[in-house]
Amino acid sequence: MNFGPVTGGPGGPTVFDPYTLPSDDNVNPYTFCVELKGSQWLLQKGKMIAYYGRIEFDGVGHGRFDRLLRTSFHSPLHAGDWVVAEGQGKMLLADRAYDVNSYDLDEGNLTIRAGNLLAYQPSLALKQSIVPGFLTLIGTGKFVAASNGPVVFMEPPLRVDPQALVGWADCPSPCHHYDHGYMSGVLGGIRSLTGIGGSSGEEHQFEFVGAGTVLLQSSEALMAERPVGTVGAEPGVPGAGAGHGGHGGQGPLGQLGVRMPGQLGDFQRRLGL
Amino acid sequence: MLAVDLTGDAVKAKNGSMVAYDGQMAFKKMTGGGEGLRGMVTRRLTGEQMTVMEVQGHGTCFFADRASEINLVGLHGEKLYVESSNLLCTDAGLRTGTTFTGLRGGATGNGLFTTTVEGTGQAAIMSDGPAVVLRVSAQYPLSVDPGAYIAHTGDLRQSFQSGVTFRTLIGEGSGEAFQIRFEGEGLVYVQPSERNTVGGDI
Repeated sequence: MNFGPVTGGPGGPTVFDPYTLPSDDNVNPYTFCVELKGSQWLLQKGKMIAYYGRIEFDGVGHGRFDRLLRTSFHSPLHAGDWVVAEGQGKMLLADRAYDVNSYDLDEGNLTIRAGNLLAYQPSLALKQSIVPGFLTLIGTGKFVAASNGPVVFMEPPLRVDPQALVGWADCPSPCHHYDHGYMSGVLGGIRSLTGIGGSSGEEHQFEFVGAGTVLLQSSEALMAERPVGTVGAEPGVPGAGAGHGGHGGQGPLGQLGVRMPGQLGDFQRRLGL
Repeated sequence: MLAVDLTGDAVKAKNGSMVAYDGQMAFKKMTGGGEGLRGMVTRRLTGEQMTVMEVQGHGTCFFADRASEINLVGLHGEKLYVESSNLLCTDAGLRTGTTFTGLRGGATGNGLFTTTVEGTGQAAIMSDGPAVVLRVSAQYPLSVDPGAYIAHTGDLRQSFQSGVTFRTLIGEGSGEAFQIRFEGEGLVYVQPSERNTVGGDI
């Protein structure tokens, strides 16, 4: 009798030990190996699957990390979701069997959907983006992010589907774009309310212009949302008191809580429209 | 998907995991996983239940389950420890049984018992995403998140490691409070995904 996988995999599985595991690189498309040499990494809770060596995991609230947090963690609102790994050894990171990739920033900045970020080096500073639900990394260093399917890099100007957006680097000024011209007038209103005549589901896009890079995943399956917390309610802060029809920076329609044609699902609410 | 070429011999597979075959095949449900009356009673008592069928015939049989990744493990007389929910298919010549795992089971939510596969032949285990095989040797013990563990072989001692401190109790847990520590000589299979575990959120 003969066992064989149908898809052409390697003959036998590769066995890894602390020497053959890559250092700060992918083991396979779904697993990433981080080498710690007395250094620290910040990671999201529950993404470590195994480690060799002596590594300690502490919540970021630990008093020892006060200095580290002052320089590289500016998002106290979801501090509960982050862990500092410290010690000697190699650890494996993975996230629900999604593709994981590492990215290097060199005196750069990158904004990423909060649920996609797995881990980063403390030489980077993590901050909440003004766009709700996104986080911005600034500085020099490496970070690891997950995506559903491989990540594609695109140059603006372009318009992307909201579900496919992973993040963007540099400043390509993200904004909303609606193609709901055909939904105007009486017929269009009926169409959008009843769904008769159909909407293509692609009326709403994010538009990027300017110099930079946009990261897309090759699937429209969203990663599970990570609550990034709410911003303090201050005048002029978008999304303050988030999500529940707060008043800071909300448009008049948002305050009324009315769904107008072309506003799709919870996106407009989440994005503070 | 797993393809098994059969020439008159048999394999044991998870009930209902056949997706296609060509040639002549006979499928027979094996009560109690083919472990006899004692095995049946043990499995019933330990909750490590497994419904198994025996496939015999000539041709190629294809197995798959919920699009999970399949990893082949070749056994040469050693023992493979695997959760029954992760075991897809074994050579009919391999003996399966049940063993006590200790505290690890309690943390994974998979019960305190696990399935063993013993003998010479091949077994197919399933994982969510391709498994990473990690070697454990005397000088390099390995710590694994209980939610990512799927199987291990060799002479390994497992101990339960807990990082629970007073901080966990005041809500500043690290999310990595529980680990299984493997010491000895052997191989551990981990999947790039975590099951929901009792300890996972602490």
